Amino acid sequence: MSPAARIPVTVLTGFLGSGKTTLLNRILTAQHGRRIAVIENEFGEIGVDHQLVIGAEEEIFETSNGCICCKVRGDLIRILGQLLKRRDRFDCVLIETTGLADPGPVAQTFFLDEDLREQFVLDAIVTVVDAAHIEEHLDVMDAAGEQIAFADVVLLNKIDLADEAALQRIERRIHAMNAPVRIFRTLDADIPVDRVLNLGAFDLERALATDSSFLEPQYPFEWAGVYAFAPGRHELCLAGAVCAHDHEAHVHTHDGGLSLAVLEAPSADASGLEAQIEPAVRVFAEESVLPDSTATIVPAAHPWRLPTAHDHTHWTLRIERAGTYAIFCEHAPGEVGLRVAGAGHVAERHFRSHHHDGEIASVGITDRRPVDRQKVNDWFSDLLQSRGQDIFRMKGVLDIRGEDRRYVFHGVHMMFDGRLERPWGAGERVSRLVFIGRRLDRAGLEAGFRSCLA
Amino acid sequence: MAPSAILESRASVELDDYIIDCAWSPDGRSLAVVCSEGTVHLCEFGERESCVHELGMHALGALAVAWQPGGARFASAGQDGTTAIWDAGAHRGEHVRFRPGRSVVEALAFSPDGRWLAAASGRVVALWSTEGERLHEFAPAEGVIAALAWDRPGRDLIAATKGGLLAHRIEPPRFTTRRYARPGACLTAAPSPNGKVLATGTQDGSVHFWYLSSGRAGEMRGYGTKVQLTAWSSNGRYLATGAGADVVVWDFAGKGPEGSRPLQLCGHTERIETLAFQPGGPWLVSGGRDWRVMLWLPGRATTPVDVQLGDAEATVARFSPDGRFVAVGQRNGRLAFYALLPP
Repeated sequence: MSPAARIPVTVLTGFLGSGKTTLLNRILTAQHGRRIAVIENEFGEIGVDHQLVIGAEEEIFETSNGCICCKVRGDLIRILGQLLKRRDRFDCVLIETTGLADPGPVAQTFFLDEDLREQFVLDAIVTVVDAAHIEEHLDVMDAAGEQIAFADVVLLNKIDLADEAALQRIERRIHAMNAPVRIFRTLDADIPVDRVLNLGAFDLERALATDSSFLEPQYPFEWAGVYAFAPGRHELCLAGAVCAHDHEAHVHTHDGGLSLAVLEAPSADASGLEAQIEPAVRVFAEESVLPDSTATIVPAAHPWRLPTAHDHTHWTLRIERAGTYAIFCEHAPGEVGLRVAGAGHVAERHFRSHHHDGEIASVGITDRRPVDRQKVNDWFSDLLQSRGQDIFRMKGVLDIRGEDRRYVFHGVHMMFDGRLERPWGAGERVSRLVFIGRRLDRAGLEAGFRSCLA
Repeated sequence: MAPSAILESRASVELDDYIIDCAWSPDGRSLAVVCSEGTVHLCEFGERESCVHELGMHALGALAVAWQPGGARFASAGQDGTTAIWDAGAHRGEHVRFRPGRSVVEALAFSPDGRWLAAASGRVVALWSTEGERLHEFAPAEGVIAALAWDRPGRDLIAATKGGLLAHRIEPPRFTTRRYARPGACLTAAPSPNGKVLATGTQDGSVHFWYLSSGRAGEMRGYGTKVQLTAWSSNGRYLATGAGADVVVWDFAGKGPEGSRPLQLCGHTERIETLAFQPGGPWLVSGGRDWRVMLWLPGRATTPVDVQLGDAEATVARFSPDGRFVAVGQRNGRLAFYALLPP
């Protein structure tokens, strides 16, 4: 069977109350012309005309090869096997998971079972999150982070219950974990069905290419701004907000406060800021210092630690020499209410920060040099054996030397599927890979990729 | 000399829907057939003419059918969660219908004496009379029951599930269960007809077996994919297994199959969907997604003795009780009858 003929499968995840059921009902009742076979996590909760709805009792099979992450859904193997006998009655499959479910076993089912791998293709994992509660969930539950890490599409739902600053903060936090994920803001899970169903293998290349921010390394700071300061004392205000998502794993967090560094910048524009990024990384590597009782900070070769107690929100920035300065801040100003009285920044930049959410992050690699197929196979094989448990998802397109077609792959934990697909067009050849997981070793992944160059 | 025999096409009927399963009547004159949309049919098969009666439905689709040994009734099960008993005699039609559990019923098996119908619903197996009375329900298994089979004397009912095989011993009013454990998911239940061995195919691409006299367990690996079909020769010597497009046969003569090389029957080019050994005879029939039905003689040849090309994927093949005919169901709803003509 050709890959194009495989039946697309959408996996729907999300906590109870996120709006997952609302989305499911919308998909089932909307006039979109698609015939969907829905596999629900319970028997017949919703009665729906014209659609095939099947109840499933979640049953996890561990494989006997001893790998604890090789879990699959036995019930899905059976149900999907039955569905194949009626495949002319539907165009795509939608699988709803229970609220706290780890999406891994569902996704892995499509890799481990050869029959299903031939007949179905995992089109996308769609995670619905509740804008009002997701931050709290991320702080206390690993499952919330994992559902986001696995997703191809996130519906940021119930946006009426969060303000713009919170939505932006959530989106950054989601992207910090899962860089290539597409986020759609929704009210009542109202979204055109073609944003979540049958994305055509979610047009992997476009997903990987759209947001190049995942190609950036991660930084110990989330934001920097360049200011022109006259000599003297400037007032630095924090709006009393305690950092919304401090995390113990963060090396710069000792007491739930905020770290920032002040460096001289060579020019009052974006290039002046860029020039100070690397020096700022070195500054942040130093032990942070608490200001003394005068609450005064100065440009220094170490970061300052500003406790964010409610009774202390004003600090003095003392500048000796007129000039341009860059302030690098652990969190974005919108999150912590940072501002400099009477001075606006002349340039700013947001950074991907590395310290959030159970150390879940993404590593992207882009390279225009072709790779050797055998070397790639060896590398993936080693990588999945040794790091498969921590790699939630990997996906990408490779330019294989001597091959006219794109090699498109994706994987879940230790499971992997790769095939040659469309031919490359003129000037298009470029390899793009992304890994999403826990405690990923960026340098190691980059070195691994370089070892595959043809 | 290569063996020679042929499958000779005799008749066919059109049911216009994917044939899920079929079961012969004990006299070999009728077949109960269930289809993916849920219809239940009775096909009466004559040398000159065949006729089809549609007896009823399982809403959302049918999953299994089994004929009562020595009787004129058969049972069917479906996605609607019900099991129906059908009368195939003078009062043709639905006799009784019941709901064995909360879940879908995926496996049915009549005891060899025809008294009890075992039905698996989710993790639960229960025994029923053909009047719909429940004799006994066994404690829920660790996982969903994937397959059921009785041993030849009808004393043990074997259930395949996650984590091993369960052998339910039925000596009313005593009911006991023995567990044959292995990690992973067991997909088939295959007690050997000579009563010596229990075998199962697994999701992990292996075959496990236990010698019943000693309890000794063995395992055969090396399959590229899950082993979803197992069938014993009637003398209990050969265990035919199907995984992907491969038919692999293990010889249990002498010291058994461990360490031996299996017979690899080469012919199918796509996944096989069905395997059946001839009752009382040496012939093996397989059918697959390559639209072919193949006749084999394990132990004598590893190439097919005969190949019949259908006009759609073969989904199920069943020998008649006397071993002289084979019914083959196809994806497109055609049910074909072949006579097995030996050399």
